[in-house]
Amino acid sequence: MKKLTASFVLLLLIMTVLAGCNKGDSPASSNGNGKGENVVNIGFSGPLSGAAALYGKRTLNGVEMAVKEINDAGGFEVKGKKYTLNLVSLDDKYLPNETGANAKRLVQEYDTPIIFTPHSGGVLALQVFNEQEKFIIGAYTSEPAVTESGNSLTVRIPPNYEGYIEPFTSYAMEHSGKKMAALPTSSQYGKDWTEAILPYWEKQGGKVVYKSSIDFAKETDFFTIVTNALKKDPDVLFIGGASEPTAKVAKQARELGFKGGFIIMDQAKLDQMKPISGSYETLEGSIGVLPLIDSDEEAVPAFVKNYQKQYKEDPSSEVGLNYIAMHAFVEAMKAAGSVDDAQAIREHMQDGLANLAPEQKIYDIPSIDEHGGFASTIVVGAVEGGKVVPIR
Amino acid sequence: MDILIQQLFNGLTIGSVYSLVALGLTLVYGILHIPNFAHGALYMLGGYITLSMMTLYGVNYWLAMFVSIIAVGLLGVLLERFVFRLLRDAPPLHDKIAAIGILLFLEAFAQFVWGADFHTMNSPYGQVVQVMGLTFTLQRLLIIVAAIVVMVLLYLFLKKTYTGSTIIAMSQNREGASLVGININKVAMLTFMISGGLAAIASSLASPINLVFPGMGHLVILKAFVIIILGGMGSIPGAIVGGYILGFSESLGATYVSNDYKDIIAFILLVVILTVKPTGLFAKGER
Repeated sequence: MKKLTASFVLLLLIMTVLAGCNKGDSPASSNGNGKGENVVNIGFSGPLSGAAALYGKRTLNGVEMAVKEINDAGGFEVKGKKYTLNLVSLDDKYLPNETGANAKRLVQEYDTPIIFTPHSGGVLALQVFNEQEKFIIGAYTSEPAVTESGNSLTVRIPPNYEGYIEPFTSYAMEHSGKKMAALPTSSQYGKDWTEAILPYWEKQGGKVVYKSSIDFAKETDFFTIVTNALKKDPDVLFIGGASEPTAKVAKQARELGFKGGFIIMDQAKLDQMKPISGSYETLEGSIGVLPLIDSDEEAVPAFVKNYQKQYKEDPSSEVGLNYIAMHAFVEAMKAAGSVDDAQAIREHMQDGLANLAPEQKIYDIPSIDEHGGFASTIVVGAVEGGKVVPIR
Repeated sequence: MDILIQQLFNGLTIGSVYSLVALGLTLVYGILHIPNFAHGALYMLGGYITLSMMTLYGVNYWLAMFVSIIAVGLLGVLLERFVFRLLRDAPPLHDKIAAIGILLFLEAFAQFVWGADFHTMNSPYGQVVQVMGLTFTLQRLLIIVAAIVVMVLLYLFLKKTYTGSTIIAMSQNREGASLVGININKVAMLTFMISGGLAAIASSLASPINLVFPGMGHLVILKAFVIIILGGMGSIPGAIVGGYILGFSESLGATYVSNDYKDIIAFILLVVILTVKPTGLFAKGER
């Protein structure tokens, strides 16, 4: 028995360690047009292996596509000098401590003025030292805390999720009803989201009839929890987490006879849920983030075509937002007249957004707020009649 | 009342999957005398092979499952022949390290071959059936029935056939079995084959209700360890009963106590059972 307990502990220990030690750590850099003198290195640290690898890859694709476009156009000009970009990407396996180590390395070896990272934990880790080491964090996370802390060199790329709460609530109440059962993911992000939406829902006259959370890393089957939630006869299910398992929850709710609508928190994307749920009919009456391919912005069709050609898949919003952010950073460098003064680049982000070319404007981002968050015009998407329709 | 029956059904479904995984684990424990950490990876591979057979070659679900059972079973044999047999005289720690190495290798391998993304397995049994206020899908019914069939077959094999009893003999006493003329190497390979096959059956049955992805083994393997501790290490009835106990405690605990605390309930149960019977429910004496 003793032996067994010891090996059990050993297993746990090793699994934890493991989560973070595979893959070599040589940085992959793309588009290094030789080691010419006028090269600006752009850093990226995100999950490129492990459970979140797909998500990390997509965020990287967005940045990479923008970098390619800029280099293919012959680079960009700052104060009469031509520069090209070189993207250096490192794997952090979704671990904030790795993000920190990667960033140190990126700054010391490659002198990167900007480092992209697509998770809130990584962003918080970088905020410990980014002001001293003078680099901008391209933060791809909708967690409002990363900008509210007042870090002067953070740019939050996606809209703050608090912006979704009002449109989601009013749509769901109008189309489905006032009784909500909450089954979000059990991550910190899921908890914060839930804490934000539930009070608002109740303030608007809604009722929360069931509240729990799902740990997608531990649950093999969602029937049990969904059965319990449906017993309370809700009109709306609040779900969310990674797209694919979230879609599975929605599907099982339908199997158990749920007829109402879904509120889908912004981590899950309708277009990525569709292959799992089979069709949009399963998700009828859902409200969530508008998939990029269903957006009615003018620049979108050309962008989608271009992306499909290069990466053989539909672009998701993580691709699109990182793409537009990279372009905005370059425009900001031009406006600031410097490629390495992080402070100046950050101060000229507003000009950067204003100077975006029309074909780059796949999202409408009119301004950056005082804390460094992109103030996008929030457009949400609802599933109506088997199709996603933009709701303004 | 409806909810109770529905949740009993849900518990039965998930308990069946747990039992099948735990059975494979407990069988190998009888041979190796260490928990096979790589069992979850075999489960994951079983899911991927069934899925690939169905999507790439368009073969039917049952045939795909059969191929998967054979493939994962053979992989089990290879592991025994080329890893664990060579370590037979080494200190037990080496087996553990090897098992963990295999786990890592297989997971990285799956990600390399199939990518990191989630896949869905569409079984032909997705229909929703409603009987007397109960809702289930044919697939769930299939999980329960198939698990019981597999358990009965396994039982008959172990108790009624000569080959089966050599496995039992070896798990009871390796030297003794060897002395009466049982070929230890053959039996060890056979056990690994059955264990891998069981993992493939479990994942092929369970994948349609969840997703196929490189980390899917983690969902069940820790629970399977709990089950075989609870049921008694190396005990076959223990693995079956333990699996259902865990399945029911999760579904009923989530309903009548709290969903957030259902894992605590399972572990309290473990503590209580081990306090009363420190070797587990069905243990056959100290190893």
